[in-house]
Amino acid sequence: MTKQANMIDLLSAGIRGASVRQKVIAGNIANAETPGFKRRVVEFEKALAKAMDRGDGLDGPVETKVQALAEGRTDATGNNVDLEVEIGELVQNGANYKAYMRILNNVYKQMETAMTVQ
Amino acid sequence: MASIQRTSPMDIAVSGMRAQSRRMRVISTNIANVSTSKGPDGEAYRRKLVELASDPTGQVRIEQIATDTATPFRRVFEPSNPDAAEDGYVEMPNVDLPVELINLTEASRSYQANAAVMKRYIEMVDLTTELLK
Repeated sequence: MTKQANMIDLLSAGIRGASVRQKVIAGNIANAETPGFKRRVVEFEKALAKAMDRGDGLDGPVETKVQALAEGRTDATGNNVDLEVEIGELVQNGANYKAYMRILNNVYKQMETAMTVQ
Repeated sequence: MASIQRTSPMDIAVSGMRAQSRRMRVISTNIANVSTSKGPDGEAYRRKLVELASDPTGQVRIEQIATDTATPFRRVFEPSNPDAAEDGYVEMPNVDLPVELINLTEASRSYQANAAVMKRYIEMVDLTTELLK
């Protein structure tokens, strides 16, 4: 039988990715007026999906890539941060984080139930 | 393929907010240049318009920033103005303040509406997340 990645590993990969993304978005918003600043994005979902497809479990943390994007409309100084876009991402990311946390909480609750069966 | 079914309401609302904030920026340029009788090309300032287009994804995008060449310049009698012509008239921008202010109100209302969509959507997602408790 192939080793399946367990639920807690998957969730913790998601939580880690979402928390990195939260920081990166905060950095983008903070630098909305910094001349020449390029917005950064976090990519971890593809690596996570690939690791799940391999079906040999998650060995070690999933790669979280932070990269600066040059595309998009830039202002006179070359800054391409758009406040609306960042806020949209921030809200969406917050919702994802919350969902991962809730599911993780459920997994722990299930374990607790199993342990308290008399 | 990019279709409306695959687009998050979040992204659509964000595209609307971006478009409206761009529109607001253009309107503020028009208002700021209401009396600019000499633009970069030597002529009076011509009002700018944002042309919006719809995407197959349901998002709105800015097609272009167009220049209003259809509306004629305002002619003001001001012989002492260095930009005045022989007859004493100065060509003033084709900006009409009441029109710009109406557009400004509309842009900010549309922005608000998109922000409201975003807020409602996230409330819906939150409601679903509550089921996991």
